Amino acid sequence: MKRQFLSSVLFAALAAAIIPSAFVLAQTGAAPAASKPAPAAKAATAKTEKAWTPKKTPWGDPDLQGVWNDATSTPLQRPAGKGEAVLNEEQADQFAEQLANDLSRDRRDGGNEVDVNRAYNEHWMDARRLKITQDRRTSLIVDPPDGRIPPTVQISPERQKLRAERNAAAARFNAGMPDVATELSLPIRCIIRTDSPPYLPTIYNNDFQIFQSPGYVVIGPEMIHSARIIPLDGRPHLGPTLKQWLGDTRGHFEGNTLVIETTNFRPDDGTVYQGANPDTFKITERFTRVADDAINYEFTVSDPLTWTKPWTAMVPWTKIDPKEQMYEYMCHEDNFDIVHLLSGARAREKNPALNLQQPTKTR
Amino acid sequence: MRTTMLSVVVGVGLLLGGVTLSAHHAFSSEFDANRPVKFKGTVSKMMWVNPHAWIYVDVKNADGTVEEWMVEAGTPNTLLRRGFTKASLQPGTEIMVDGYQSKDGSKRANGRDLTLPDGRTLFLGSQEPGQAPPK
Amino acid sequence: MRTRVWRVITPLGFAVIVAVVWLLPVAGQQARPTPQASAFPAYKAPRLDGHPDLNGIWQAFVTANIDLEDHEAQSGPYPEMLGAYGGWPAGQSIVEGGTIPYKPEALAKKKQNVANRMKVDVSNDKTWHDLGDPEMKCYMPGIPRATYMPFPFQIVQGTSPYILMAYEFATATRTIRMDWKQEAPTDTWMGWSRGHWEGDTLVVDVTGQREETWFDRAGNYHSDMLHVVERFTPASAYHLMYEATIEDPKVYTRPWKISFPLYRRTEKNLQLLEYKCVPWTEEMLYGKFKKGTK
Repeated sequence: MKRQFLSSVLFAALAAAIIPSAFVLAQTGAAPAASKPAPAAKAATAKTEKAWTPKKTPWGDPDLQGVWNDATSTPLQRPAGKGEAVLNEEQADQFAEQLANDLSRDRRDGGNEVDVNRAYNEHWMDARRLKITQDRRTSLIVDPPDGRIPPTVQISPERQKLRAERNAAAARFNAGMPDVATELSLPIRCIIRTDSPPYLPTIYNNDFQIFQSPGYVVIGPEMIHSARIIPLDGRPHLGPTLKQWLGDTRGHFEGNTLVIETTNFRPDDGTVYQGANPDTFKITERFTRVADDAINYEFTVSDPLTWTKPWTAMVPWTKIDPKEQMYEYMCHEDNFDIVHLLSGARAREKNPALNLQQPTKTR
Repeated sequence: MRTTMLSVVVGVGLLLGGVTLSAHHAFSSEFDANRPVKFKGTVSKMMWVNPHAWIYVDVKNADGTVEEWMVEAGTPNTLLRRGFTKASLQPGTEIMVDGYQSKDGSKRANGRDLTLPDGRTLFLGSQEPGQAPPK
Repeated sequence: MRTRVWRVITPLGFAVIVAVVWLLPVAGQQARPTPQASAFPAYKAPRLDGHPDLNGIWQAFVTANIDLEDHEAQSGPYPEMLGAYGGWPAGQSIVEGGTIPYKPEALAKKKQNVANRMKVDVSNDKTWHDLGDPEMKCYMPGIPRATYMPFPFQIVQGTSPYILMAYEFATATRTIRMDWKQEAPTDTWMGWSRGHWEGDTLVVDVTGQREETWFDRAGNYHSDMLHVVERFTPASAYHLMYEATIEDPKVYTRPWKISFPLYRRTEKNLQLLEYKCVPWTEEMLYGKFKKGTK
């Protein structure tokens, strides 16, 4: 029984890893079937676009300054049944429509369990997240060619134990019965959110402000406030005993592309992407301004202790200023939900009658 | 079993480093699918804060007593980008709240669908500076 | 004979003259006042895109975060546990005139703040912010407090309409919108900063700050009518003179000013490091709601 549960939890972990962002809350069905490898298809990349020369700052660096938005409905991984890497216009319209329909928060169907998770009206979310990328790809992943995260490797017993603990804490959270604040996820505790690399689209506040000064590029994600200050002067990374939640980043320009490498991640569980191993996790990110209003953001992650091979995704960024701006997003300061969750759990433990088995009538 | 699978998947997704999953918050953890609520009330104040805005609503009961509900909404930043400001929802405005109540039975709900009495959706569209806030 | 006398008198006279010149500035004077920008040799900062270049990592060395006004050294909290580790140093007031001009009825709240600065109670959303120094809870310090926290901060000035100030404390940041007309759409923890240049001075107007921020650990506070005007003036390659005028008609009888130098941090390869203090506050804030308590 326990082994069944553990394997279903492990499967759920894999399913969570491969189910495209936001799809989970829109679907009520079981996890998707394993996909067949797609025939080799050449994905449209920046290289096939007409060469465009960005402006330079007065000190000679390619100009990336501005407020940028990365929202899209294009899933991280190619959905099962989609063989092509890039769609033609008609297919793309269909794909976009289907995704927008799946993701829309204005839908009220699917039963209360699904409905409550949609949370609010659609316009509280980022409207851009209902649009597929302009290059009509079927996944943000561009390598491997099948558009899927490579298979995972067997993780160590210690990490399996950590995963099991996290899954148990997640189950308690989903039931609204967390034990203690520190077992909640890092985003809910307001420690790191979309500022943790790689940058991936989410439901709202998909904004990043890029500042530049001589010798630096600085990226300020909207959630949570923080400034990723990237020195370009070739200095070494911090020493190995100085570890940080957001790691330590160094950058340089290769032609018009800003290339950044991040190391020195804290060993805390959940610090790095998809539960990879902080010590062996590597991430390289590339920013290329391909038009006045567009940056191609590409990341490659690898961890031989998590995935069988490195993989790469490209997320297009769109300039939204001067018409729109990024606003302050503080989190810990007014994080009332943590208390609601914890005190609610304690109230329900004390009074089990609060746990309704049947829906009540509406008021 | 399917529900359990879904909830575990949602939860695990949340805990995996980097927020790929849509919610920093599976709303069903705090708000009860078994406690749908629908009521009309008067706004007493709106807190334009992150991670969630909160709208305080006074609801008159049939017996004349008034109870205060706290309605959770999304991030105000999305609204600010469309021109809304903290002056956009005036105290005294009547709104309809269609949502789900807190699992512990307290007077909190998520604002699943917020509308004005005339049917318009609250904060839909954009507000140009100088435009009168929705009444 | 005359030559020998002169040989003695001349060096002696010279020594007397030197001694008089040496001691004259000090004789009859008290401690030197804080150097004003004008006390530095005339300095014109290098330009970036036509404006003074304020880029760099800066830090204040006043103890104003403990108390803007004069304060003695003290043991700090829990000396029975922390000994001298927990001590807070003495400092001199950075307030022009020495004291903050509170309205008499507003002073009571400052005293209440001090009495409650280490208490927290987040059990009720509506009274969530009533108790406790925001710094202790790892909340945002606001402006001007962020400037004199005992941590470095980095100014990132480029050619966009925004200047970024990134603070090491709790990875606080604020964006200064240059030559900006729009008013604060809502209140924020770090305020709504709009800047413009006046000669070599960056003038920043800060409105729309959350009323819950404090100026220091001594409970000095403000209301939602707080208006801060900051002036950053480069005085040398290594000094940025900082001035802030603070007004709040609900709390003070008149506007008041603070000032101190900001020093450029020049260590090789220096960078801001993380000071993410949220995890250190979770037991304090949420411990009473954990399973098994009471």
